[in-house]
Amino acid sequence: MVVCPHCAFNNKEGLLFCEDCGRRLITSDNSPTLPTKKVDENFDNFARRPTWGTARFETEASIVLDIRDSNKPITLKPLDQMIIGRVDSSSPLAPDLDLTPFGALEKGVSRVHAAIFRSEDTLMLVDKGSANGTHLNGQRLVPHQPRVLRNGDEIRLGKMIAHIYFKSVTA
Amino acid sequence: MNLAFDPYILLGIAPDVSTEDIKAAYRRIALRLHPDRNPNPGAAVQLQDINQAHTLLLDPAQRSAYDRTRHERINPAHPEFLLRVTPSKRYVQTLPEPQVIYLLAEIYTEQSTTSEAEERSREARLNLTIVMDRSNSMSGTRLDRVKSAANQIIDGLTPNDIFSFIAFNDFAEVVIDAGPAQNLAVMKSRISMLTASGGTEILRGLKLGVEQNKKHQQNERVNHIIMLTDGNTYGDQDECMLLAQAVAKEGIGISALGIGQEWNDEFLDTLTSTTGGVAEYVKNINTVQRFLDDHVRSLANTFAERLILSIAPDPDVKVESAFKLSPRPQPLVSDRATIALGNLQYHRMTSLLFQLELPASQNAGFRSIARIAVQGDILSQGAKSYMTVSDLSLGISNDAEPEDPPANVLDALGRLTLYRMQERAKEALDRGDVKEATRRLENLATRLFEHGEEALGQQALAEARKVSHTSTLSEEGRKALKYQTRSLLLNSGET
Repeated sequence: MVVCPHCAFNNKEGLLFCEDCGRRLITSDNSPTLPTKKVDENFDNFARRPTWGTARFETEASIVLDIRDSNKPITLKPLDQMIIGRVDSSSPLAPDLDLTPFGALEKGVSRVHAAIFRSEDTLMLVDKGSANGTHLNGQRLVPHQPRVLRNGDEIRLGKMIAHIYFKSVTA
Repeated sequence: MNLAFDPYILLGIAPDVSTEDIKAAYRRIALRLHPDRNPNPGAAVQLQDINQAHTLLLDPAQRSAYDRTRHERINPAHPEFLLRVTPSKRYVQTLPEPQVIYLLAEIYTEQSTTSEAEERSREARLNLTIVMDRSNSMSGTRLDRVKSAANQIIDGLTPNDIFSFIAFNDFAEVVIDAGPAQNLAVMKSRISMLTASGGTEILRGLKLGVEQNKKHQQNERVNHIIMLTDGNTYGDQDECMLLAQAVAKEGIGISALGIGQEWNDEFLDTLTSTTGGVAEYVKNINTVQRFLDDHVRSLANTFAERLILSIAPDPDVKVESAFKLSPRPQPLVSDRATIALGNLQYHRMTSLLFQLELPASQNAGFRSIARIAVQGDILSQGAKSYMTVSDLSLGISNDAEPEDPPANVLDALGRLTLYRMQERAKEALDRGDVKEATRRLENLATRLFEHGEEALGQQALAEARKVSHTSTLSEEGRKALKYQTRSLLLNSGET
């Protein structure tokens, strides 16, 4: 029997998710829940970029996410909606883009931090109510209010800084 | 010799073993699968093939004849499909109580394509029948959108494809007689003249659709019927099921697109999954074109057709549930002898998740758990029938190290959990337990919010409120929760 640590429901041995509340049942204790760290508020803000890239995003294009202090940029095709965050054992669902390998925990990235989604022929960025906020080109986003992404924009999730580039198919 | 399987693989032995080894291998498997010991219908099905393999290998003449052709059958230029089974644990602890283990079964082909021309040439030839509901409720935008979606499908057909079109209400009528897709303009004009009236009698439309599809049914083709409906059918459901079971045996698939809120999702889910097809929910009529287009495209992208899986757990192991994760998520009936899985596409694997229960108090050591067999016809190789088998064993240990389940199993299961929560809420409501249903819906909403599925979470919350006040779910909300939690699974398993 596995007792759910969240709702105390008695689950059959071997189940991985609680039959009652749907949360992940932890059987090995090497993956404890790690709450998002509060980062220093006075983290240096970045000056606005002088020029804007294009906002047009072709259907077949990919995005390149260049995370500062990491030497390998991530290239991916955006889904209709892509959740960015970090994997944590306490929530059953992994984000579509897991930033754990880039030091997400130390940099104050929430489990569900932000999302990038498609809208007409643009991409939008929205903060999902993260603990340390999402910044777009140095401006803090109001949670749950989407903003258009442009090629070359700087995104900050907590203390993690990344640049986003659009890569069209023809290029 | 035209065998679907390699008898050596079926018996799990090397090709150079002695007759004694063959007999011993056969005895081991027969002990696990024999109907006197193993009540699972899947075991009986698998034993038939094993008996055949055993008979063949014990006859020296047949065996040497097979051995001579064996190297020709294994041709790297014509890869077949593969089956990979991943358990949630490799070692399990001996426990005084039963325990659950999950198996992720993935079926895929490694055939890759190099050029676009090649891509086009290997496109499967279709024998497609569209069966369209033209009842009164379809009038206006619905009918217009469905017509233009059908037109687009017709534009994508080649003269190698066979196409037919049925419209039905209280009667059914052949709008386009089954034949090669040649005069596309005439076909389209016939469809454009259709008007809406009358009620919905699915059996009539389905019967005529099957009749038309059978006219040109060939093993080398993907034989498929797509039904579009927005209504509920009364009194003829059982007959529809019998018809679906019959066509499933003949290798014709049936899929359905349910438009709006009125159609009977449980009925169409069961009807289509019997044949390896799937039912999908078109909430917004403007998206019907995309649904239909995706569907036909996935049929044209067929590598192997008429995929059939059987699972034979060991006598003391129980299959508790089965769920198809991709290409289109769908619950499966796990207690059937065989499970129809439809087609296997080139670039998208077909994957399933099984939940098994192991008995209490097992002895330490290695033991077999279940044998999974998949058979299908590879279209590009002249509809060659092929079977592959995976026999899974686990270690039982008194001091098993806690082991993190494989990420793909965990991810798939996390998403499946949401679908299950929605199902349990409905079950609670069907039992009349309003309080329980409300609580489950609220739990589901919380999980959905955590995953960032806000719109769906809000809908779950709205339904929870509705249930607690009126003891019923709204039809729209129920369908949205069911099909959208299901489609969350689509984001997993894709690589």
